[in-house]
Amino acid sequence: MKEILFYLFGVISAVLALLSVTSKNVIKGGVALLGSFISLGAVYFTVGAEFVGIIQVIVYGGAIIVLYLFALLTMDVKKIAEEKVRGSSAAAGAFLSILLMILLLLEASKIAGKVKPAVSGAKELALPLFFKYLLPFEIVSILLLVATIGAVAIARREE
Amino acid sequence: MTPFSLFLLSGLLLAIGLFGIVARRNVISLFFGLELILNSANVLLVGFSKLHGNYYGELFVFFVLAVAAAEAAVGLAIVVAIYRMKRSINTEDFRTLRW
Repeated sequence: MKEILFYLFGVISAVLALLSVTSKNVIKGGVALLGSFISLGAVYFTVGAEFVGIIQVIVYGGAIIVLYLFALLTMDVKKIAEEKVRGSSAAAGAFLSILLMILLLLEASKIAGKVKPAVSGAKELALPLFFKYLLPFEIVSILLLVATIGAVAIARREE
Repeated sequence: MTPFSLFLLSGLLLAIGLFGIVARRNVISLFFGLELILNSANVLLVGFSKLHGNYYGELFVFFVLAVAAAEAAVGLAIVVAIYRMKRSINTEDFRTLRW
């Protein structure tokens, strides 16, 4: 049952991701990316990483995509849709990405083992996060503060 | 469940994101491709965490998420500032620094 759900949400996520980078309308692409991230959260649930799945839906679906859509509100979406895609760059992108994927999967297929879908909620993750990895955690909080101040300082209108 | 299915999902997301970055010409679509590549790294981290039976891979997902949020905020601020100046987010119009 879990495996069927994994493949279902994995296929949905990949298809919506492809839709999001190929659609002419950027708003449609953003909404497709939102669906892709939410089904990726469901994929995390099917392998047992429940807390990561919840955080994925909240942060990616609720914060990052909404930030992109709000930034798009200030722009002219019709003019963005007139963007011309060069055939040569699309062919180069397809060639590079397929080559990279084949190389990675050839190496990855050598890794043996079995995925154990043990449930990891907030309790299991809190212990290493707040003891073993406390310093990186604090550094990340400073990074977020710096990013907030920097974003406000850059986007502010000059007097 | 074999780990290969997780690797396959991660590889697909990486390939799609790379295709978007190379092929598209507007900055927002480039950011979408970037987010997809970060997500493929997250899938791989969760997969290896479940393969090895410990929680350290899943912890790294939080750090990746925080960096992705910071990158989106600063990147969008830069894009909005450039859009105010040039009235365009096409990368071919950003040629002020080109020699």
